[in-house]
Amino acid sequence: MTLVAIVFALLLVMGLPVAFAIAGAGAVFFLQHPELPFTQPAQQAISQTQNFSLLAIPLFILAGNLMNRCGITGRLLDLATLLTGRLRGGLAQASLVLSGLMGGVSGSAIADAAMQARMIGGEMIARGMSRGFVAGILSFGAVLTPIIPPGIGMILYGSIGNVSIGRLFAAGILPALCLWLALALTTAFIARRGGWPPERTRRARPAEAFSALGAGFWAMLFPVMLLIGLRSGLFTPSEIGAFAVFYALVIGIAVYRELSRKGLGQAIETSLGDIGGVMLLIALSAPFSYGIILERVPEDIARAMLGLTESREALMVLIVLAVLAAGFVIDATILIIMLTPIVPPIVRGMGADPVHFGMVFIIAATLGNFTPPVGAAMYAVCAILGVPVGEYTRASVPLFLALALVVVALVFLPGLVLFLPNLIY
Amino acid sequence: QESWTLRFNHVLGPNEPFHKGFLAWADRVAERTGGRLKIDVYHSSQLGVEEDIIEQIRQGANVGQNTDAARLGNYVPGIAVVNGPYMVANKEEAFALADSPTMQGWIEELAEDHGIRVVCFDWVQGQRHFFTNRPVRAPEDLDGLRIRTPPAPIWQESIRALGATPVAMNFGDIYTGLQSRAVDGAELVYTNITAANLNEVLSHANETGHILLVNFQIVSEEWFDGLPEDVQAALTEECRAAGQETSAVIADALEAAKAELVRRGMTIVEDVDLEAFRKAGEKAYEVLGLTEARAKVLADMGR
Amino acid sequence: MQGSGRLARLIGWLQRAEVFLAGFFLVGMVAMIFTGGVARMVGRPLNMTIDLATCFFAWATFLAADIAWRQDRLIAFDLFSSLLPDRARRVLTLVNLAIIAAILAYGVVAGCWLAWVSRARSFQGIPGVSYSWVTMALPVGSALMLVTTLGRIRRLLRGGEDGA
Ligand code: NA
Ligand code: NA
Repeated sequence: MTLVAIVFALLLVMGLPVAFAIAGAGAVFFLQHPELPFTQPAQQAISQTQNFSLLAIPLFILAGNLMNRCGITGRLLDLATLLTGRLRGGLAQASLVLSGLMGGVSGSAIADAAMQARMIGGEMIARGMSRGFVAGILSFGAVLTPIIPPGIGMILYGSIGNVSIGRLFAAGILPALCLWLALALTTAFIARRGGWPPERTRRARPAEAFSALGAGFWAMLFPVMLLIGLRSGLFTPSEIGAFAVFYALVIGIAVYRELSRKGLGQAIETSLGDIGGVMLLIALSAPFSYGIILERVPEDIARAMLGLTESREALMVLIVLAVLAAGFVIDATILIIMLTPIVPPIVRGMGADPVHFGMVFIIAATLGNFTPPVGAAMYAVCAILGVPVGEYTRASVPLFLALALVVVALVFLPGLVLFLPNLIY
Repeated sequence: QESWTLRFNHVLGPNEPFHKGFLAWADRVAERTGGRLKIDVYHSSQLGVEEDIIEQIRQGANVGQNTDAARLGNYVPGIAVVNGPYMVANKEEAFALADSPTMQGWIEELAEDHGIRVVCFDWVQGQRHFFTNRPVRAPEDLDGLRIRTPPAPIWQESIRALGATPVAMNFGDIYTGLQSRAVDGAELVYTNITAANLNEVLSHANETGHILLVNFQIVSEEWFDGLPEDVQAALTEECRAAGQETSAVIADALEAAKAELVRRGMTIVEDVDLEAFRKAGEKAYEVLGLTEARAKVLADMGR
Repeated sequence: MQGSGRLARLIGWLQRAEVFLAGFFLVGMVAMIFTGGVARMVGRPLNMTIDLATCFFAWATFLAADIAWRQDRLIAFDLFSSLLPDRARRVLTLVNLAIIAAILAYGVVAGCWLAWVSRARSFQGIPGVSYSWVTMALPVGSALMLVTTLGRIRRLLRGGEDGA
């Protein structure tokens, strides 16, 4: 894998589109393994598009584009401006709230990040926030989506590690609150330092507030309707994106009457460009991921950590740091599948609660979606907003550090993680 | 000295007895061949989805897969009968299937025409039951219940014949699907329930035992053909031995899982009208055109 | 793409067909999944809706990939190349396009070959429906992207603006 990593870095530096750079790196791996069928990389790229949990990505991208064209986004923005307008970086704060709401229905950080980038990213930049920061907060903000239940990471960890999924779901809520707080405070700090002006200087009058609430009623109802669709059993988390599209269509055509045939066509065409960029990358990264799995890279990293210390907290911190580092290049799903059988039994043996460790571990692994050079949510946001990865990376450092700090702090706060699961079960 | 590696993939989690069984198979083979043949086991479908692995196998790759009769039935239709309702009664009958001339004929057809070598199929996962949120004692009780089933047509037809409405759903959605009532139940074995904590969203275990799930270990015929005879024998015979041992472990694990579920408050429905279910199950063979194939295998087994 | 005469018209037609088809598959995915959820809700599950949606997903992905490539929407790290002098950057771009063309040529060849050798593989176990219908999305998408890439190489060699 060393040569593969070098080639990958080289291709990236050469300015090759990331999708092809990662495909080239995967090709090097397969050239080193002539015993594998030559059709296998092609097979794996196709197989990514047969993965039902990735189906949410195109659906939410289309939903985001439709909401822009049908009047939902505009009204949501008006409302958000009214409510958060006196805060510096108010729209960024509003986007974090939206991620929290989306978290209740969707388990996909990539889908949420892509949808929000399309819905409000452009507007945030237009209101004077820096491009890199906008991409960063929309991407990192999506960490709330899989940590607020339901989330695919918790289901994977629970089924592989034989840990109660219900307890894991309940355990996600308070840490998600901490993550949100960390992002909100960092945003406020960056906004103050950047001197971004608040959009409003005075408090909203009641009449103004009621009028915006009335206009934005159906828009506000959007996450609530999705929640009803999920809780009533109409849709599963993988399917909920189709319901989001449907809702946007109905509101745009029948309620707001803003969605024209032309607007619909434009929404679809823009979505296709977004989807092509994101999904090609995910499809072409499959052979590279296969190399990491075949050579059991995460397992080697974990084994190296396990012998280093006798202290439970120190070991957990070491593992969190290793997972954060591995997450730069390795997909969260792979990390959870490969490490869950190895690490939890050992920390459990040292007296850690598997739900506590699981939550910390899942959050750390999830952050890999947002960190360069390999991170699907980051790519989705950068591709949709046209923000260079370099700018994204520079602006994201404080966001990453804030979240990493929360994860490390959670190691020492088992009571916080376990409070709700112990209350419910 | 020449050596070989087999990368063996399966969909189950690392806590399942099958995973430990595959590791035992790998150890036995390594020991018996003096390390010439090494089996690397990958759990949780790490190497890819089952159908992709089968495709690689057919192209001669050094990979193996734990699969079932329903999937192999896509290539040689007759084999699918093993997956039919109330076909195999117990694990001893499953082990004896290897001596059925009809089965042997199908397995050679699979190797010659499709490049898939069945190493052995002495791996019995246990009786599948219906897990629901209300008691099920007769096929009528399943009427209108949406039951999650693996997305293979033979499976769907079997469950339909038994009276339920089959719903294809990917495994990751089962928990939330049950929680939100997108489906009303699932048909699984006891150990699946404890492993995935599905007792949190299911209240009743109805012991229909409608399918005894027999698993098949497959590799590439081209790759297998390239092994010396003694290595082939080691791979096959240790597969059978490890499989039969694991099947016995599973039987115990199923009992333990059942006891654990009782402890967690699940209601076990034992007074099931098996005769009615058996009769209902016949329809699946008719719909799938497997009546004749079933009769041949049953005759081989002296039933 | 600025080909001459007939070829340009053909390519223009192909691109319109590509957008239309990709849009059709995207909308089809939504329709299928929505119908599937409603049907399950009323107790009449239609299992083929999921199958069709995933098949459409493959086609939407690889057709949309060319749309994104034509719109220059594939992201890259351009820190280093932006520091190079003009001439060196053109050479680097040419090298990059050649690598991309090689990867796409592999996609066409391996994809077609895979679709052919595994034509017996059934799609979701449905008798008579081959998985090759899904597999073909990759070589078709790769071929379209290859046309786009070759167009960029040609423009670059003619001294036009940066290809990538
Ligand atoms: Na969630
Ligand atoms: Na990353």
